[in-house]
Amino acid sequence: MSFVFSKENLERIEALKSRYPSPKALLLPCLWMAQYQEGYISLDAIEVIGEVIDMPPMELYRVATFYTMFNLEPVGKYHIQLCKTLSCALRGKAQILAQLSNRLGIKPGESSQDGKYTLSQVECLGSCGTAPVMQINDRYYENLTPEKIDTILESLEEES
Amino acid sequence: MSQTEVVIDDKRFVAKEGSLLIDLLIKHNLKVPYFCYHEALGADGNCRMCMVEIEGQKRPQIACDTLIKEGMVVRTKGENIESVRRNILELELINHPVDCPICDQAGECKLQDFYMDYGLYDSHIDQADKVHHQKHIDLGSNVMLDQERCVLCARCTRFTADITKTHELGIIGRGDHARVSTMPGKKLDNPYAMNVVDLCPVGALTSKDFRFSQRVWFLTSTPSVCHGCAKGCNIFIDHNREKYKDETIYRFRPRENQAVNGYFICDEGRLSYKALQENRQVERDRNGAVCSEAEALKAYCKTLEGAKGEIIVLADPNLYREELVAIEAYAAHIGASLYAPLEHYRDEDFADDWLKSSQRAANAKAVEILEIKTTLPVEKAGLLISFNHPDAAQIKAEKVISFQTHIGKDAYDLTLPLAVFSESAGTLVNEEGIEQYCPRAIKRNEPIPTVIEWLTQIEGGDK
Amino acid sequence: MIKASRIVSRKFDIPGSHTLEVAKTHGAYDALSDAFAFSPAEIVEVIKESGLRGKGGGGAPAGTKWGLMPQDDPRPSYLVVNGDESEPGTFKDRQIISKDPHLLIEGIIITCYAIKAHDAYIYIRGEYCQFQQILQSAIDEAYAAGLLGERSGGEAYRVDITIHRGAGAYICGEKSALLESMEGKRGHPRLKPKQKEPEWYFGNPTLVNNVETIASVPYIVKNGARAYREFGTEHSPGTLLFAMSGHVEKPGVYEAEFGTPMLEYIEHYGGGVLGGRKLKAVIPGGASTAVLTADEVAYATLDYENLRAMHSALGTGGMIVMDEGTDMVEALKNLLEFYHHESCGQCTPCREGTGWSDTILGRVLEGRGRSEDIDKLLELADTMDGKTICVFAPAVAIVVRSFIGKFRDEFEAKASV
Repeated sequence: MSFVFSKENLERIEALKSRYPSPKALLLPCLWMAQYQEGYISLDAIEVIGEVIDMPPMELYRVATFYTMFNLEPVGKYHIQLCKTLSCALRGKAQILAQLSNRLGIKPGESSQDGKYTLSQVECLGSCGTAPVMQINDRYYENLTPEKIDTILESLEEES
Repeated sequence: MSQTEVVIDDKRFVAKEGSLLIDLLIKHNLKVPYFCYHEALGADGNCRMCMVEIEGQKRPQIACDTLIKEGMVVRTKGENIESVRRNILELELINHPVDCPICDQAGECKLQDFYMDYGLYDSHIDQADKVHHQKHIDLGSNVMLDQERCVLCARCTRFTADITKTHELGIIGRGDHARVSTMPGKKLDNPYAMNVVDLCPVGALTSKDFRFSQRVWFLTSTPSVCHGCAKGCNIFIDHNREKYKDETIYRFRPRENQAVNGYFICDEGRLSYKALQENRQVERDRNGAVCSEAEALKAYCKTLEGAKGEIIVLADPNLYREELVAIEAYAAHIGASLYAPLEHYRDEDFADDWLKSSQRAANAKAVEILEIKTTLPVEKAGLLISFNHPDAAQIKAEKVISFQTHIGKDAYDLTLPLAVFSESAGTLVNEEGIEQYCPRAIKRNEPIPTVIEWLTQIEGGDK
Repeated sequence: MIKASRIVSRKFDIPGSHTLEVAKTHGAYDALSDAFAFSPAEIVEVIKESGLRGKGGGGAPAGTKWGLMPQDDPRPSYLVVNGDESEPGTFKDRQIISKDPHLLIEGIIITCYAIKAHDAYIYIRGEYCQFQQILQSAIDEAYAAGLLGERSGGEAYRVDITIHRGAGAYICGEKSALLESMEGKRGHPRLKPKQKEPEWYFGNPTLVNNVETIASVPYIVKNGARAYREFGTEHSPGTLLFAMSGHVEKPGVYEAEFGTPMLEYIEHYGGGVLGGRKLKAVIPGGASTAVLTADEVAYATLDYENLRAMHSALGTGGMIVMDEGTDMVEALKNLLEFYHHESCGQCTPCREGTGWSDTILGRVLEGRGRSEDIDKLLELADTMDGKTICVFAPAVAIVVRSFIGKFRDEFEAKASV
């Protein structure tokens, strides 16, 4: 198997085991660790986690496919997730999406050719007071305007 | 738990306090529709079809999640509750393909049954708007999956998770994109896998072995017992005689018996029907030449009369008890020693701790009770008469008469065809000592004699 | 006039309030000494007397729930804090987590002591990663200061807090689905128990409360039930972190006492409708409550009883404000897409009903509507209502009925094109 948890993650897993009544509780934490480590959750990782928490891989797989934040396929370096739910829609989500699509040359659900960006529309991000809002990887970007999109994308270009 | 009285549709019933209402309804054949509930798997509460009205409750309740309480008043009929079921059923059907004419489940499909009971309405959805999933997925172990026909009752996934504990199947994805699947690249692979076909209430899981072979309403089901091992799992033999053809078995299905096999059978037993129809010995063969029945009987008597030295009779420990008794009497009559060697039938690799026994002889227990010798005879025989015993060729004998169900590789002085268990009738005693009678299921166009029919003819010719 | 009512949000505007140092200078952890002077049963009594209601949306009396926890059970008891905040229009727990995490920790310590639990978990929606980090730092600080661990708050009472991160599933805000999720399963709500009992985590008695509910505990314990009842109404005592989003000038979270007139709240804190336009409708308590017309908003007050009487609900108190230009058909479609996406798929009526409702309305918006479509949506709402394991589908039914019932003309016009 090609997936191996990093030493640091293995230590975290051991520490977490003492925190819960059953190792099965570590399923979501382990999936997160695997996703951060590899960028996505591979089938190999699922097998390995199954051994760590003593759960058959299928039981893990069906859990992993239930939660929308787990990527079972690789995604772009920057995963842009634009909130599409009501408050954001009322505050101009459509223009933000248009701006993102234009700048990146991709539609929601697609990744840029260089694999750098993946664009998704997601349901309510719980940031309705600062709509429209998007998340790039773990960070929130709030009170978006088309101009702000330009600035954000430019800073990402510089970053890489 | 104490017994209590409840009222269902104005009739009184006695049931255990705290037991499941749905079990009582099923037991008394009070019709409520359901997909997800199964006695072997318990309640899951996902299909929401078994809605009933309970006095004092504002909303309809699912019978599979309702515990019997003293004085409970239940209503399973009436426009109100039937319209509730009709509406839920309509939702089950929206994403379901309308392919009953080509679906193998047709005729034993709960979706179809309930539609006839409650539905009968026009579709409100365009074909194009339906959620589409994958069809014709080969799951492995002879099981085919059509995700579009699935109602997500989770019976199959609960079977692999809770019963076989092999965890091959699971519901993946969410909402109306949820679907049954294996892990990518993995197969459904356990010795009981094909039970999911029976468990599936609709046509989502079908048997690769059975699909497209017969419409189920043409099949006749005869209760019987699997001969694959000494467990004695109860089965239905599903068979049909098509015009100009011989009566044919199309499948074995498990038959519920809580004392023996519960609801299930193993795949090897399930598929063992095939061997009953393949490579059968149908001709009488004397020294390599086909002969008539009269000639065969004549040859039999002549061989018996001319036998020098000891006569050994071998009996297959799969034969019915009545057949073994007849053979035992016949052997005594001709002064032969009788054996039913069991060694050949030991199979540790086959065994597990559930429905598969290491004793592969279905009637080994009857052999033991009849006190028939189970070792392999070592002495040289003047004449060996074998009733379908696989070890016949190993016995040293001057002359050999073999009654056999299947064509073997060994040639004998006289080879006579014998009916298989589905063409005969009698009693099996399983390894736990439970006696189970199996009626005759199959009548061939040109019948092959059973043990008793042969012995009757032989003894008749004797006189 | 609106009365200033800041119980939970008291420290929100103080710079650095998420750090232990700043929080402590503003009274953080002061309630611990009061709490440990009580017996656990006495604290449960105080919470009961205060009338504190669950602030995650349901509004069930918190004290009653606490009272279901066993006082002497050989199994360990657990506290699970529900921070899965995913109801559209709701973004209040996030404020506590990121602006006053020590208030939450303090509330957890007291609650654990009251229900005889030693281990608490905070389930936070996966998207709130950056806020979770703030909370984790606060927890780390609290451990370092001896406020958590073997001798929490300096008393011989162990409390350990572990953050459990969700991964994108609205339904996990439902308490039994949340516990399933924490047990490493799909977030499927559980069948309801036949009698009143605690929740169960790996078979152990467990209390599940919303972040804001727990954050309200220190104030009540420190100041008494009566002080809490100074705010709000008789049946809805205290305050809530109400919120506004959509077409308002100053969207955001502003704590107010229960019973505050809705329109006054929107005017006072929200600065009125965006651009001075006319109000059309408000969804009062997160997406899953019945929409109110502008006429109804005029006499709505922000408490459980009033909104219930109006056939809506207070829910999470997250108001979505819509101005006169809002297309109500599009708005409902937006919400149906949400429900379609978030249905866990366990029960047939919800799995198929949400999807089909979304499909039908999509067809209407594409100009492929049929004359019977609007009634079909209402019929579907009936099929989804009261026939499923959890209240997800019934909530969808309420939303559909209220939108169509109150703005039927707009729906008819679109369907008949």
